[in-house]
Amino acid sequence: MRKKELIAVILVIFSTLGTIFGIFALENYRKKKFYTIELIARAPEHGNWYPRKITVPLGKEVKILIRNIETVTHGFAIPDLGVAVPEIKAGEVRVVKFTPDKKGTFPFMCTVWCSEHHLNMRGELIVE
Amino acid sequence: MAGFLGGYSAGNYNFGIMVVWILWWVMLMFVLVPGFARAWCMVCPFPIFSDWFQRRRLFGVRQGKPEGLGLKWPKPLKNMWIMNIGFLVTTFFSGFFTVKPFSTFVLLGGIILLAFLIGLIFEKRSFCLYVCPVSGFQGLYSQFAASEIRRMKPELCQQHKLKTCYLGNESGYGCPWMLMPFDFKKNTYCGMCLECFKSCPYDNMGFFLRPPGVDLLTDTPREPRRLDEAYKAFIMLGIAMVFFLSMQGPWGVLKEMVRGANLKGWLAFISLHTFFTLLVIPGVFFIFVYLSKLFSGNKVVSLKKVFIDFSYTLVPLGLGVWIAFSFGIILPNGSYLLHILSDPFAWGWNIFGTANFPWTPVFTGILGYLQGVTLLIFYLFSLEYGFRLSKQIYPDLNQARRGWIPILVFLTLVTIFFLWLYLG
Repeated sequence: MRKKELIAVILVIFSTLGTIFGIFALENYRKKKFYTIELIARAPEHGNWYPRKITVPLGKEVKILIRNIETVTHGFAIPDLGVAVPEIKAGEVRVVKFTPDKKGTFPFMCTVWCSEHHLNMRGELIVE
Repeated sequence: MAGFLGGYSAGNYNFGIMVVWILWWVMLMFVLVPGFARAWCMVCPFPIFSDWFQRRRLFGVRQGKPEGLGLKWPKPLKNMWIMNIGFLVTTFFSGFFTVKPFSTFVLLGGIILLAFLIGLIFEKRSFCLYVCPVSGFQGLYSQFAASEIRRMKPELCQQHKLKTCYLGNESGYGCPWMLMPFDFKKNTYCGMCLECFKSCPYDNMGFFLRPPGVDLLTDTPREPRRLDEAYKAFIMLGIAMVFFLSMQGPWGVLKEMVRGANLKGWLAFISLHTFFTLLVIPGVFFIFVYLSKLFSGNKVVSLKKVFIDFSYTLVPLGLGVWIAFSFGIILPNGSYLLHILSDPFAWGWNIFGTANFPWTPVFTGILGYLQGVTLLIFYLFSLEYGFRLSKQIYPDLNQARRGWIPILVFLTLVTIFFLWLYLG
């Protein structure tokens, strides 16, 4: 009986911790393999874009995973590169794909009026 | 994990919020409680650590004294009052729990921790019986459930001197809910853990289907109708009214107050909510109960008994109100479940290919009618049981008829009020 109990305890711990670590490991692998960077969208008073500076290589396809973790809708645009996602609803995740064809520093911004500080919801994409 | 991760500010795209407040709550009110009584308690994870600690076993039965202090729960608190207040207080934060995933995590984590701590100090399932905020209303509305666990042949139990269903044996633990499985008549405090099925050497416990609500007519010295249960009925009715007004009604001001847009508004909400639920509803009911006694002409039965006994007429109606309310949750919001099942942490996953399923309200055009019909069905049950209760309260049939009239009026007015909310 004690052996059975010990196995049960190990299984409970393993399945609990294993699930948590497994999910995080899978997500890490997925992000690295399929996306260039993850971008969190928040109104400026709640933290703004994170990260606010993104560096990407010239001529290689960029895949940005944008997560809106707020209760308001955001948008995303890099006007200089002709990239835009008109609407990312609360809680939604969107993927933006593009290949930068020029070097430089380009602003990206929210395109939906999301808060009083909406105009400050900006960041920089550096193409090297 | 869902409390900390992904969409942690957007409840509609959060696994924790959707599974707890949309899926679980609706299943509880639609299927589990009306159909299978406290079947949720059978699988509830909240007391698992407490059980594990007390028994030091996940499998089999450990004989001897359980771990922990094993104190008896204080006698003055052996009732639903803590659960009544606990559930009411929980609803003060409803504007946060249903929107902020982290607050749902805090609530559920807090309940699990409390269950564990109480399990360290008090015997068996004291937490489930006297503290758990989910337990109280399940117990009350389980009286209306269409199924029950009871002993099969009473004569077998009479012959069996060693009550193993209560004391336990090598096959099963003594009733963790501290009931006497060989002789209980109400679902209210049976957690359906099935230990009595295991510990009964004669295989004399059974799961039965039955007409909904027969427990409402049971009033024995061991399982009497009680004021704390009566208040649970008032509280549940009051909360349903407040929830409907603030969550499904068109009044934006109320929504702002409930979600705590500013402290003053939120304090006004909890004050009005408490006043309305604890005083106004029971107070109005008391007036009708007073009229009932007056109309009946009976001078022997105490007003308190009339008040308590008639309050059980609110059980079918209250359950109907909550089922109707649940329609208002699942029909507009159910489609979000498809999204969160595919992308539980809002990481952009698409496990089942439904992550991009758009928000699709279902039958919301006839939602009010569905709610209205549901309520009317349960209103009829309330009338049916109400008159039977009246006959139990007043010994004379004419007294029962006269005494029933004010309560009938009260139930009808409440039903009309809710119909106005649904359809008005």
